[in-house]
Amino acid sequence: MLLEVRDLHVEFHTRDGVARAVNGVDYAVGKGETLAVLGESGSGKSVTAQAVMGILDIPPGRITGGEIHFRGRDLLKLPEKERRKIRGAEMAMIFQDALSALNPVLTVGDQLGEMFVVHRGMSRKDARARAVELMDRVRIPAAAARVRDYPHQFSGGMRQRIMIAMALALEPGLIIADEPTTALDVTVQAQVMDLLAELQRELTMGLVLITHDLGVVADVADRIAVMYAGRIVEAAPVHDLYKAPAHPYTRGLLESIPRLDQKGQELYAIKGLPPSLLDIPRGCAFHPRCPMARDVCRTDIPPLYEVPGGRRSACHFWRECLEDG
Amino acid sequence: MAEPVLEVGGLVKHYPLTQGVLFKKQVGAVRAVDGVDFTLLKGETLGIVGESGCGKSTVARMLVNLERPTAGTIRYRGEDITRLSGRALKAVRRNIQMVFQDPYTSLNPRMTVGDIVGEPFEIHPEAAPKGDRRARVRELLEVVGLNPEHVNRYPHQFSGGQRQRIGIARGLALRPEIIVADEPVSALDVSVQAQVINLMERLQSEFGLAYVFIAHDLSIVRHICDRVGVMYLGRIVEIGTESEIYDHPTHPYTQALLSAVPVPDPGAREHRERIILSGDVPAPTNIPSGCRFRTRCWKARERCALEVPPLAVPEEFRASTGPAAHDSACHFAEEKQVVPPE
Repeated sequence: MLLEVRDLHVEFHTRDGVARAVNGVDYAVGKGETLAVLGESGSGKSVTAQAVMGILDIPPGRITGGEIHFRGRDLLKLPEKERRKIRGAEMAMIFQDALSALNPVLTVGDQLGEMFVVHRGMSRKDARARAVELMDRVRIPAAAARVRDYPHQFSGGMRQRIMIAMALALEPGLIIADEPTTALDVTVQAQVMDLLAELQRELTMGLVLITHDLGVVADVADRIAVMYAGRIVEAAPVHDLYKAPAHPYTRGLLESIPRLDQKGQELYAIKGLPPSLLDIPRGCAFHPRCPMARDVCRTDIPPLYEVPGGRRSACHFWRECLEDG
Repeated sequence: MAEPVLEVGGLVKHYPLTQGVLFKKQVGAVRAVDGVDFTLLKGETLGIVGESGCGKSTVARMLVNLERPTAGTIRYRGEDITRLSGRALKAVRRNIQMVFQDPYTSLNPRMTVGDIVGEPFEIHPEAAPKGDRRARVRELLEVVGLNPEHVNRYPHQFSGGQRQRIGIARGLALRPEIIVADEPVSALDVSVQAQVINLMERLQSEFGLAYVFIAHDLSIVRHICDRVGVMYLGRIVEIGTESEIYDHPTHPYTQALLSAVPVPDPGAREHRERIILSGDVPAPTNIPSGCRFRTRCWKARERCALEVPPLAVPEEFRASTGPAAHDSACHFAEEKQVVPPE
């Protein structure tokens, strides 16, 4: 395995109390594999990614437990100096909002070239040449001329390509993409997603794709991990999960989205609201909203059960859920 | 057929671009909306879809008179509301209300929920006698699924979905005939989106509302709309019933848009044709001649640069009575199924 997150716990100290954002997350990504991490806002999907990258704000954040193994080393045990060398060179991140992730007062050429200057000790001139190559690779037209442009001079789709170019610069083994196409229009979204998938295949990178969009996941992922209230509630190969979800939350999500290929009747709606991280319900965090909830769900936290077919589900009644689906 | 409640004709909104400080001269214009026509029938839902910058929100704002059109007419029950002012305008506005996209910025944080939902009655006191208002507000909260006991709370004490319900209650207060909803669910999480959509559908049948539903999410639009118009760079390029647009699109832009939507079904990955458009949408300051989509269209020929295609049933389909015979602004319209049937 390229990346393995084991029993990760992260909390934030806020004025109102301790927000438990991540409560024991396990996931793994292999070489050339795409893992989609799906969840709604506040499910802990981005916080987990930030902990993996080592860009969590500490304080107020605090990693209270767990391990993050990357290429055989536990990242949480490495000194910051070592992690800096890994970040960018061996694992890179693509953010949702390229406009705020890029530096507005530097040209895109300078920002792309900086990767080579800092990590590879190249001269500015060589780095500039590499920057043009990269922009070509992510198919930015007239790259040689545009390398001197500033981020605001590019369209949203082009800026996201620059972010991808920057992440790919040093050919890392792992890319974490946090909602990479959420801010883009649907026709541009398709272009960017295709580019990302193509480059991933070419370089056989591992890709962690963080998203809330069940459609995007179905298009590109190999495996999928669904998060709720800071835990993984279901993990499965993507075909199996869509065909027969083994957790009532996943099932609710799948049923509550309108479909492009059908004019539906009333939508199924999961009742209630996602829990506050300051006050996560006892037992199974989903029980107040779950149509299958019983007494045991109110008291016992369900472990991540093994489900046949290399799947896992954190539901006491995963068997019933599978059969109902 | 139901009677039309809103008829929009030749609607245009240009924002001038000026140069110079003392002697301002106009050097161009942002052509945000550039000739839009449609009709809204009583009790129906008309969806307007398009990518960012296509002018769909500007259309919405003109419908509720938050923007004055540069040209064109908006007729509410036969009366052109763009020419009205003062008391006559106020009377019309009662019947056309708006629900905004962002429930975090569209509610005044210093007003209680009761004051927010009751504010329309301050502006239109004839809608409810003074002593009656408190009760009306509580009733409205109940209708949209909020606890009427929470009337004295402030917006920050509610979640995103609940805030959107407050916005909807405010829109309903004056018992309007038309609600213009600009991306009402796009800021919400998936599990909450479904709740709000169901609420809007229930309210529609309960109060006989007509909706203009502006959105970029094509799946949601299909779910809620009876008819759909597709906008590109300030114009409607294709308009028809939900099934005409989704199952029998004839305009290449509609086809590309539909084919690009990710479908939550990994099995569809293999047998789905995707049309990936090259390039970006041109700037609305510099709209291409002829057909405005031609710079990204794979079918574009010489004629497309010279002649603006009208929004009408294309020649090819004029003789037919099938679902392909609907308005589509393309010289080379062709039916193409891009959404796989179930």
